[in-house]
Amino acid sequence: MEPLGFLDIWAGVIGRFWPVWLGLALIMGSSAVFKRRLGLYGRLYDSNVGMIGLGIVLFWVLTALFPEIIATFDPIEQFAAIKRKPPGTIETSTGIPAYFGGDNLGRDLFSRMVHGAQFVLTVAPAATLVAYMVGISLGLPAGYFGGAMDAVLTFIANLVLAFPVILLFYLLVTPGVRETAIPNVMSGIFFAFPIFFFTVLFYSRYATRPRVLAVQLAATAAIGAWLYAGLVFDSDPFGLIRLEPNELNIFAAVVFASSPGVFRIVRGLTMDIKTRDYVAAAQTRGERAWYIMLWEILPNARGPLIVDLCLRIGYTTILLGTLGFFGLGLAPESPDWGSMINQTRGFIRIAPTIVLPQTIALAMLVLGLNLLADGLREQSLRD
Amino acid sequence: MAMTEPILDIENLSISFFTRAGEIPAVMDFSCTVMPGEAMGLVGESGCGKSTVALGIMRDLGRNGRIVGGTIRFRGRDMSEMSEAELRQIRGSAISMVYQEPMASLNPAMRVGQQLMEVPIIHEGIDVGSARARALEMLESVRLPDPQRVMDAYPHQLSGGQQQRIVIAMALLSNPALLLMDEPTTALDVTVEAGIVELVKDLGKSFGTSMLFISHNLGLILETCDRITVMYSGEAVETGTVGDIFDDMRHPYTQGLFRSIPLPSADKTARPLIAIPGQLPLPHERPPGCNFGPRCAHFESGLCDQGKLPMRTPRGLDGHETRCARTDDIDWSAALVGEHTGEPIAPGETVLQVEKLKKYYRVAANEIFGGTETRSVKANEDVSLEAREAETVAIVGESGCGKSTLARVLLGLETLTDGKVLLGNREIGTVEIGQRDTETVSSIQMVFQNPFDTLNPSHTVGGQIVRSLEKFGVGTSQAERRQVMLELLDLVKLPREFERRMPRQLSGGQKQRIGIARAFAGRPKLVVADEPVSALDVSVQAAVTELLVDIQRSSRTTMLFISHDLSIVRYLSDRIVVMYLGHVVEQGTTEQVFAPPYHPYTEALLSAVPIADTSVLKKRIVLEGDIPSAMNPPPGCPFQTRCPRKHLVADGRCEREMPPLRTVGDGHIIKCHLADEHLEAMEPVISLAS
Repeated sequence: MEPLGFLDIWAGVIGRFWPVWLGLALIMGSSAVFKRRLGLYGRLYDSNVGMIGLGIVLFWVLTALFPEIIATFDPIEQFAAIKRKPPGTIETSTGIPAYFGGDNLGRDLFSRMVHGAQFVLTVAPAATLVAYMVGISLGLPAGYFGGAMDAVLTFIANLVLAFPVILLFYLLVTPGVRETAIPNVMSGIFFAFPIFFFTVLFYSRYATRPRVLAVQLAATAAIGAWLYAGLVFDSDPFGLIRLEPNELNIFAAVVFASSPGVFRIVRGLTMDIKTRDYVAAAQTRGERAWYIMLWEILPNARGPLIVDLCLRIGYTTILLGTLGFFGLGLAPESPDWGSMINQTRGFIRIAPTIVLPQTIALAMLVLGLNLLADGLREQSLRD
Repeated sequence: MAMTEPILDIENLSISFFTRAGEIPAVMDFSCTVMPGEAMGLVGESGCGKSTVALGIMRDLGRNGRIVGGTIRFRGRDMSEMSEAELRQIRGSAISMVYQEPMASLNPAMRVGQQLMEVPIIHEGIDVGSARARALEMLESVRLPDPQRVMDAYPHQLSGGQQQRIVIAMALLSNPALLLMDEPTTALDVTVEAGIVELVKDLGKSFGTSMLFISHNLGLILETCDRITVMYSGEAVETGTVGDIFDDMRHPYTQGLFRSIPLPSADKTARPLIAIPGQLPLPHERPPGCNFGPRCAHFESGLCDQGKLPMRTPRGLDGHETRCARTDDIDWSAALVGEHTGEPIAPGETVLQVEKLKKYYRVAANEIFGGTETRSVKANEDVSLEAREAETVAIVGESGCGKSTLARVLLGLETLTDGKVLLGNREIGTVEIGQRDTETVSSIQMVFQNPFDTLNPSHTVGGQIVRSLEKFGVGTSQAERRQVMLELLDLVKLPREFERRMPRQLSGGQKQRIGIARAFAGRPKLVVADEPVSALDVSVQAAVTELLVDIQRSSRTTMLFISHDLSIVRYLSDRIVVMYLGHVVEQGTTEQVFAPPYHPYTEALLSAVPIADTSVLKKRIVLEGDIPSAMNPPPGCPFQTRCPRKHLVADGRCEREMPPLRTVGDGHIIKCHLADEHLEAMEPVISLAS
């Protein structure tokens, strides 16, 4: 059959993304209408940079939510007819066009790219959030109390940061390590931080109001135990949450690599904010240290932290791409962008467009996150 | 005639800023002239547009600002017709500017000498040798000691006062015809400020420089300027000679300003301050007609709210202009009537007793990798004082005197190194805040200095007060505490809707009221107020001060009022403790401290405070040098390095021995070596011309 022309390809692709366009229109349209009531998020709609960034990020988030609807093929099924074929080639057995062509094994690049978004957009934000919990839980006391604890924690953070990231991953994410208990122990420690964080957060504020506190602590314990069981011990009673051992390994490694950075930012912000009068006012009314850190200092550090969160999700996306490229920790057939780049790069001379979809997808998501961070920074600095 | 041509002639100047919200007029219809050798004062509260005028003259309004009307003539030439190159030639040479923050005006990476020499090298193209000579000469004329050493220093190696002198020297090096000074002394201590004021006053005489002196401090303007323009909400409201404005004011706003500052004639029981009601209108919410109308007691609808009001000359006063439509109808000599006159409060039993308090801080480098060297900052060396129930005790001193450390020890944020602090009969000096019980915590509270920092920007106003109540153990349920919180809002005269507001929606004065409400939430026995009004605008200061006095009086709370401003201290306090470098150098009742005999430091401090009253005569005492570092205090008397009376004590005893505390009157204590005859011979620093 005759391959599709340039315009037909794009018409087809844009059509396949219909759930994304619908979602974008709903979210951004309604947000733009109510932007005055939405705080910093609403103010993003006053900044072109921020809006473009948000649009790109939302595009990929929605893609990650509906890959089954958008994708045309199964991401790991192989078809001889589209092997290393240029964009627009029709797969003969099904009659469905391979919009971006096929890869070296005859898998549809478009479908793989769409499915690849899911992996990146689950692991990158989740790992960054856990890294944030770790960084905040350690950075706040280090900055607030200073002294020996600060010196020790900062030293450890510097030690981790001083180690080349790729080497670190070669050490942490290898099949040999995966067979030991190391990933489970590491993730066991890391996942304890969010539980610790929320417990202290609620306890420090509501200790005098036992009824409110009980509800909050019970919720924290229940959700915490559920996630903990599912992620660390792979024994979620509902079977909803589970990570493959290799994914858990990557997850723990990513948290390990990015929490020192968060720690340093939080520590610096804490040292700045703790000199404010409202912190002294809290001290003089007899507040405990953790209340001051979590309720007086942390909310006022949120501006820079949100910006950093966006940038850091971007770095993590790049990191995941790198891991995939080196084939570290991921199943060989998994449709993640890094692995796809590595697998296809040898065939550029045969099919020049073969590396483009995954490369552009990766760059586009990181760019979107960076633009979003810029927009947030710009808007949070204004008036 | 060349002599009468003004250096600077501003006519109907209007400046607007263009933002997302639209055009915001910052200055409207502003006119003023500065004659050669004259000092023009520009006075007004924050947001009135006085700094914008200065920036407009320099044509440095940034991207959003634009001059939308009027002309600025410099030596007869319209500045809007000058090219960018011509303006650049004028800026920094014919017109120089001195800003508030000296450290921000100097390049921290360049030696002072280089920065000074740049000026003549760039503007006159002279060689390095003669530039250096010029710079040295100028450093001497701004009275910096040891100019050679200063030339080779970096800015951070010098004190704030020295830095500001360098900025002024730099501004003068190009022989400017006009010097713009934007709050040049606000960031400095009073005794240092006095030195700068002395210098600025002489500039006009010795260099013939014209000056535009921008300040919010009327006393400072009185001391430095010949003529004055009062600004309010973007407009000049009154202009005239200093004598005209201070003694024959013809605008209700100017009058309101004078009534709200604590002049020597004010008294908290007999003649309280009268605050200007209301608030400065926001730039886009200005009323029609007179901007001051809504806050004015003489407002007449149909007259004051119609069209734009022009400047007019009041009847019988030439050279004096005011933007008041009713200026000729108002009886300007009408006596001040205080809103309330309370009975003086009799102090009760002793609440707080501080005995020989000593607080050293250890300064060390990194905890793990630091060397063995530890140094200590001797913040409080020997502080003893007492405060009784319902009494206001002022602690006066400049930065570094240890007054804030004392407050931190009292509040339990620090523990003392030695000595005793008794609250009632309980020792609290060694008990850190975390170890104090709820009752002690709620019985000592603090009002902080900076209104923009005292409330947490992330929590609602009501929430913050309720949290304090919770910590003080007031009430048993949230609903009960909320009720108490609403009553506290009433107490500080704020509407109950403020419960749900975020701090950023409040003005400085309103925030400070919340700070007061929070401090008084647990019915404290002692409130430490650390310069609670110094960061507020003059008209707001009066209202907050009055509120504080009212609440304190009705609750019979003891107040420790920390301040460097002796005018407000004189107005508020029953007793005064003067501190210098961690020592109490003088204490006594307000009358005793304000009358001779003085400690020489108190004498200098009294002389340094600018007083906005033309009938006050002051003896001028300008101290040499700066406050020594508390890390390395001088031997003997702490004040000996700057004391103008040191020569009166024989054989250098001041440099060797710590002076004893001497009682010179009933409860009046002075720490000084001066012989009795010298103390008795002292004359009053402040006297009223009869």
